[in-house]
Amino acid sequence: MRRIKKILKGLFFVILFVFAGIQFIPIDYNLNEVVSENDISKSFDVPIDIQNLLKTSCYDCHSNNTQYPWYNKVQPVSWIMESHIKEGKEELNFNEFKTYSNRKKKSKLKSIISQIDDGEMPLLSYSFFHKDSKFSKAEKIFIMEWFNKKLDSL
Amino acid sequence: MKNTIYVLAVIALTFTACKNEQKTDGHNDESSTEIHADSDGHNDNKKEVTHDNSDGHHDNDGNKSMGENRNIEDSSDKNTATTPIIDAYLQIKNGLVADDKAAAAKGGEALLQAFAGFDMGSLTKEQHTEYMEIIENAKEQAEHIIKSPIDHQREHFESLSTDINDMISLLGTEKTLYVDHCPMVKANWLSETKEIKNPYYGSKMMKCGKIQQQIN
Repeated sequence: MRRIKKILKGLFFVILFVFAGIQFIPIDYNLNEVVSENDISKSFDVPIDIQNLLKTSCYDCHSNNTQYPWYNKVQPVSWIMESHIKEGKEELNFNEFKTYSNRKKKSKLKSIISQIDDGEMPLLSYSFFHKDSKFSKAEKIFIMEWFNKKLDSL
Repeated sequence: MKNTIYVLAVIALTFTACKNEQKTDGHNDESSTEIHADSDGHNDNKKEVTHDNSDGHHDNDGNKSMGENRNIEDSSDKNTATTPIIDAYLQIKNGLVADDKAAAAKGGEALLQAFAGFDMGSLTKEQHTEYMEIIENAKEQAEHIIKSPIDHQREHFESLSTDINDMISLLGTEKTLYVDHCPMVKANWLSETKEIKNPYYGSKMMKCGKIQQQIN
């Protein structure tokens, strides 16, 4: 019995030590103060309502600016977030939209529309922590209609 | 022992607090290596009357998105260099026809390899620009086809079909191919057989579609 207690105690300290240790890993922030030259708003006229929806629901992972929650300061949370953001930006970066070829723009717009339509975006794990990121039914129709119009205009 | 914990906690807090300076230049290195042709490209003549998609559904008319106004017959030099690319594309197509996700994924890998093995030395400057644009997009679709469930594979296949068709218009092929149209998804696909086998629905709607054009 005393041995088990000792092992458990040891394990506790190992975990604590590792947890404390990983806090030393620097956090790479996805932040930019300048408005991007190549933002989607330079390709299309983006009405303010749409812009707000994009900012609240998409830009944390699909732009060069993330609105970080306080718990991002704690590892391993910020690690996990960093990898999500990196992947998100590789897939689609609204701040770089203007640099995409017409072909790529079209295919990105199609993917955006179909993912919003299927409810795959915003990600469930994201909207769980960001309740306001989830599109209401009306917002969903509104934003998809807008993207469809832009797709047709290309 | 208790003291150790306190010391560790204090050290940890100090260090995390110090790392708060903001990074200003973001990390966009990856985009700078891509080739970005000017956005109007060659597609000007594709502009047609925009139709209002007010039902909010994401149909875009496949008839329009695929090679219209481009005369495939004109560029039908019997190019053999494009054959590995087309074969890999057909491998994906046949995987989807058979509702076989793994086979389609394998075709995706073959397609990436075919792109890597393609010799761009013989392309003219204009061809090169357009080719790069096409394969940038096509590669992305192939990567998704490799790792996605079958319904996603089919979505990416739609975009890929446009790319491959445009590549054939640009560079030509020695193969005999059929451009088929699926009225349900309003999209096209390329096939090596005259018989209709619909990759967008597989066994659910195998015979749905019609031949729109024959190449060679």
